[in-house]
Amino acid sequence: MLKWFSVTPAQRPLPSVLMSALFVLTFCCVLSLLLGAGGLAPHASLLTLLGHGSADAEFTVFHLRLTRTLVGLFVGLTLGIAGALMQAVARNPLAEPGLLGVSAGSSFAVAMALVLGASTATLTVGIAQIGALIGCLCVIGTAKMQGQRNDPIRLVLAGAALSSLLLAMTSLILLFDQRAADEIRFWVTGSVAGRDTSTLISVLPSMLLALICILYTAKPLASLALGERVAIGLGHKPRRIRGIVIIAVALLVGAATAIAGPVAFIGLVVPFAARALVGPDIRRTLWLCLPLGPIIVITADIISRLVAQPAEMPLGVLTAIVGAPVLLFIVRSHRLPTL
Amino acid sequence: MIPNRLFMPNATQETVPPNGYKLLTLGHKVRILIEKKAVVRNIWLVLILLLSCVMTLGIGTMMISPKEVIAVVFGHGSPMSQFIVQDLRLPRLLAAVFTGAAFSLAGCLMQTMARNRLATPGIIGIDNAAMAFAVSSVVGMGLSIAPSAMALAGAATATALAFGLAGGSGTRGYRFIVAGIGIGAIAGAVTQLLLSQVSIDVANSAYPWTVGSLSARDPFMVHILGAGVAVCLVACLVFASQFALLPFSDQVITGLGANIKYIRIIALVLCITLTGLAVSVAGPVGLVALVGPEIARVLARYRGIPLVSSALTGALVMVIADLVGRTILSPIELPVGIVTAVVGGPYLIWILIKRSSRSSL
Repeated sequence: MLKWFSVTPAQRPLPSVLMSALFVLTFCCVLSLLLGAGGLAPHASLLTLLGHGSADAEFTVFHLRLTRTLVGLFVGLTLGIAGALMQAVARNPLAEPGLLGVSAGSSFAVAMALVLGASTATLTVGIAQIGALIGCLCVIGTAKMQGQRNDPIRLVLAGAALSSLLLAMTSLILLFDQRAADEIRFWVTGSVAGRDTSTLISVLPSMLLALICILYTAKPLASLALGERVAIGLGHKPRRIRGIVIIAVALLVGAATAIAGPVAFIGLVVPFAARALVGPDIRRTLWLCLPLGPIIVITADIISRLVAQPAEMPLGVLTAIVGAPVLLFIVRSHRLPTL
Repeated sequence: MIPNRLFMPNATQETVPPNGYKLLTLGHKVRILIEKKAVVRNIWLVLILLLSCVMTLGIGTMMISPKEVIAVVFGHGSPMSQFIVQDLRLPRLLAAVFTGAAFSLAGCLMQTMARNRLATPGIIGIDNAAMAFAVSSVVGMGLSIAPSAMALAGAATATALAFGLAGGSGTRGYRFIVAGIGIGAIAGAVTQLLLSQVSIDVANSAYPWTVGSLSARDPFMVHILGAGVAVCLVACLVFASQFALLPFSDQVITGLGANIKYIRIIALVLCITLTGLAVSVAGPVGLVALVGPEIARVLARYRGIPLVSSALTGALVMVIADLVGRTILSPIELPVGIVTAVVGGPYLIWILIKRSSRSSL
């Protein structure tokens, strides 16, 4: 065990780290099923899990909390992976879908759809994904036009500007439509509560597509981390890789946003933690993002349920409170690490 | 050997101002160097501001002709238009003028101090923090201090944090600004958290603080803000010669014999006061602070720090933005914060895209 801590992150064996992360994730999931705001005590929930509960308890545990946990699992997974991909493609440790305006683009599209007559229950995930794609392209375009892809902080500024613009437009749209405003009010801060598992099933095809994109690009991305020229020399096409990755990010973030609303900072914290554990290689980081994202989202969700009983606080708020210090830490670190 | 007096001009000797400038001497210590062109420019700006004010007072659901407006302002006119202009539109107009001036002046100071166009109170999170503190007071989590006082405290806290977290790099570079973005994000989240904790009635009473809007403002606060803007403007003029040193490097400022810490603290205090007071009247409408000083700088042809012009252009931008928000989609009224965000957002992106060939400002 001591040896595990003394080696550099890049030398740690991936399976052992991954196994321990999976163990923690399982623990979090069980906790998420056991703890909650209602009157159900943890040991009663445990009995229910083992099959000896009342009908009420069964409803709470299997219907409410299980759905919630599954949604949290999915959102953490997608946002963590999207963050890692985005940071690899921008070669920027501060790139994060929420900060860069991808989530804002997505929520703008959702608000637009709501005003045009959709409702949150029947909302198609595709709209959110198209919005996310447009948000992505805007940010990348801005960063490219200024010709300073290497300056990580400027990219964040462009994203912040774009986010504030899109948020203003979203609230502008919502002013016209009281019904849409009511539907979106809780959604806009990000939450995993009260969602339906059917949405989860409806996003599966696009997730499959994203998975194929990731499998195709993981290796080229690792060589892209060594620089554009190295990647070209190794026979990859950086432009095409970037395009595919951006599509994958849009698919992932759009799906997560459609289900849980814009949850910021997950994409920043998860890859940051993953890199600290297994080093900067994207192929290893992506593996570790799989359990880490859900761990963070589910933990945040448990806290958000417990802190403000019997009400609960929006998940997006909690992730911002956890994530912003990480942003500050990265910015403060003496030498900004370039990926 | 070079005569010593070339380098150390005698204090009692009469100082001749440079061409195009006039020296105002008040008492023994206070000397203000005034650019004649700037005076002309500011008079023009005041005239334009007055013109748009008259227009704003006249335009609305009920149209009143400019002639009538002027008559009403001087105490004549029909009771109906008197009620509309004096009781409904004038307080709002005053709020717009004062908040615009305050935000813009604060922005100009902060930009000069950080030597960065993006360093405006809205971007580095001062607005959001002031808002969070004010909301905490409204929903009863504070120490039962008035929301406005809490807004000031919030502004001060956020500034201190941004400076502290920027670390050794000081206010230069983008690190300072991204630290500010982080602080703004936390403050925004805290505001949401507070609002989600309380009953819907309390949340509604705190809501006006969270959107930038000029409707239904406390008239008392508007008066305080007006007084604050006036005092800060005078202070800016008094310290103008010191602030003029801020664009130079620290070594140069020290070499010129000025106390850089002292100048910075004065500028910061002014900045915090203005932002805190303005947020307590209009909520976070910080993007004015980005646009106002920029127009003033273009008008001044990038010479010197256009403090007074910034205040005037900020007021002008705010008045026009509020007019647009009130009329463009009437009967729906757009909060002025949304108008400024829709205008200011693209402008911000344009700043980032454009490679500045001039200085960093």
